[in-house]
Amino acid sequence: MLIRQVIKSFYILMPLAILMAFLWAPSAEILGDFSRIIYFHVPLAWVSVLAFLVSGVLSAAYLFDKKQRYPWLDEKAFNSASIGMAFALLAVITGSLWAKLTWGSFWNWDPRETSIVVILLIYIAYFSLRSALAGNDRRGVIGSSYLILAMMTLPFFVFLAPRIYDSLHPETIINADRTPHLDDRMRMTLLISIFAFTSLYAYILHLMNRALAVAKRLEEEYHAAD
Amino acid sequence: MTGVRYRIEARGLTQRFGRNVIFKNLNFALETGSSFCITGANGSGKSTLLKILAGIQAPSDGSVTYADISRGALIKECSSCIGYTGPLVNPYDDLTALENIYFASGRAEKSRIDSLLKCFHLTGHEDKKIRHYSSGMKQRLRIILADLNDPPILILDEPGTNLDESGRRILRSYLDSVSVEKAVILATNDRDEEKLCGRGIRLG
Amino acid sequence: MVREILRNLSKDFSVEFRTRFALNVSIAFAVTATVSVSLTAGGVPFPSLVQSILLWMIIFFSAMNGLSHIFVREEDQATALFLRITMSADSIFISKFIYNQSFMMIVLAVVTPLFLFFLQVKVILISYFVLTILSGGLSIAAGATILAAMVAKAGGKGSLFSILSFPLLLPVLWVSIFATKNSLDGARPADYNSLVFLLAFSGFISAISFLLFRFVWIED
Repeated sequence: MLIRQVIKSFYILMPLAILMAFLWAPSAEILGDFSRIIYFHVPLAWVSVLAFLVSGVLSAAYLFDKKQRYPWLDEKAFNSASIGMAFALLAVITGSLWAKLTWGSFWNWDPRETSIVVILLIYIAYFSLRSALAGNDRRGVIGSSYLILAMMTLPFFVFLAPRIYDSLHPETIINADRTPHLDDRMRMTLLISIFAFTSLYAYILHLMNRALAVAKRLEEEYHAAD
Repeated sequence: MTGVRYRIEARGLTQRFGRNVIFKNLNFALETGSSFCITGANGSGKSTLLKILAGIQAPSDGSVTYADISRGALIKECSSCIGYTGPLVNPYDDLTALENIYFASGRAEKSRIDSLLKCFHLTGHEDKKIRHYSSGMKQRLRIILADLNDPPILILDEPGTNLDESGRRILRSYLDSVSVEKAVILATNDRDEEKLCGRGIRLG
Repeated sequence: MVREILRNLSKDFSVEFRTRFALNVSIAFAVTATVSVSLTAGGVPFPSLVQSILLWMIIFFSAMNGLSHIFVREEDQATALFLRITMSADSIFISKFIYNQSFMMIVLAVVTPLFLFFLQVKVILISYFVLTILSGGLSIAAGATILAAMVAKAGGKGSLFSILSFPLLLPVLWVSIFATKNSLDGARPADYNSLVFLLAFSGFISAISFLLFRFVWIED
């Protein structure tokens, strides 16, 4: 099973990434050791995007899998979204620390900061909707539809809106994430760290889905005993 | 409806909620000109079965097919050839009976509407808002709405609910007359209504 | 299909305008919000950016008070099953969509003049202003219709509708606010790209909503 290999690799990749980030990679010229936050911020942001994408794909699959050949896809989408939310919050925290160090303030409303806020709002709305639908057998369909709708409108935000906004306010084209002059060792560390965090995501999702399956089994046993 | 013959067939219908099996592997077929009763205790799945037959809900397993025998063709979407009503089909409270009727059908003729209203003793009440209807009047309107478009298949869930003895008598004579040319499927626990049915099944 | 849509529209208009509940709440909210902003400002005119933000916030929340009613009512009065067996999901979505657009136009027709009157707003690019208000309103109602259907199935709980709508409609509000500001102070010539954006957004979200609606509406 691929997932077992990924989980095993986590135990090697994550310590390796941490060691490389703190010891092996050189510090950047201007930022000094502060720049090492990049090895955590970028992977966190990447995993949150990945987790949200996976939850969107699972939601779409749920809607089209009418006969429910794959069980509980909507709940798995929910699990992935929860992980995405946690990682996105961590990415925001590390990002604003970094922004404070480079730009002098925690928050600048640059296009990336704006889009992550919108993404967070979308998922807060999704979690509210799911909790409002507790005990409703339409929960999966409606939650999934909302997620798909939200994901479809995201490109408008991420790509189009900042451009129109920029045409009014050219001074806001600031890309805090732009990382020029990464040397090879930095690049290598970043790559390993991205793999490490991706395997962490796969690990957590796998655990959550197994817990879900156990919970469902218990529920059924309970009802069967009636 | 004369001359049109339809057939509704259920194959291997099974309904589960989680691991609870409500009913399993039901097979039956019905043609226009006959009637079919579904009886059973509360919670035995009568309403669910009727919704499945009416195409409102999908079964966990199995299928329902409709066929136009006079033309020898299977029909996929049969919303216009089925009249369905049940306790959860509520007309709009803020509309009058006549407005509800026109909403339910764009093509019913005035004469048909009048004769249905007369048959169910609602003539003279058609311009009242449903809000001011008694529950028995509402139930009679439900049956009118289901049969309004003269569908070849009529599916009625507990049609006698809320009706008094005279209302039930009207209903029985009406069902008796329409079952000559329609396929009538009833869910009921009323002995007298059961007598109307040629065949039936008991759930649970 | 066209006849089904017309039948459903005439039903919705008669039911809604016999009670006028949703419309009254929306208009009452708009009037209260506008008057209280004007009252606390004490006659001092705001900068044009603040004015456009206030205008769109009032429009957005007035609309949020009414746009979900068209679906929530069907669930509250338990008429959803009757509607479901009477016509196809596509006809239902299109008619509810048209109803919500008309509702939005009524809200705009009340809110905008009221706002201009009470907050001493001067509009420089008048036709651009009107077009911005119309296309912004169109986008809000377009996005809100499918969300209304979802909220209705979730039991129409309180502020859930605004929570769901806000992130989805944020691009609309954003673009509308800047276009409105521009039309108020006339700092630069009318930028029709933002109107194109709003129309494109409406078209796109309507298409997606149309495709998703049958999943939300039909239970099986």
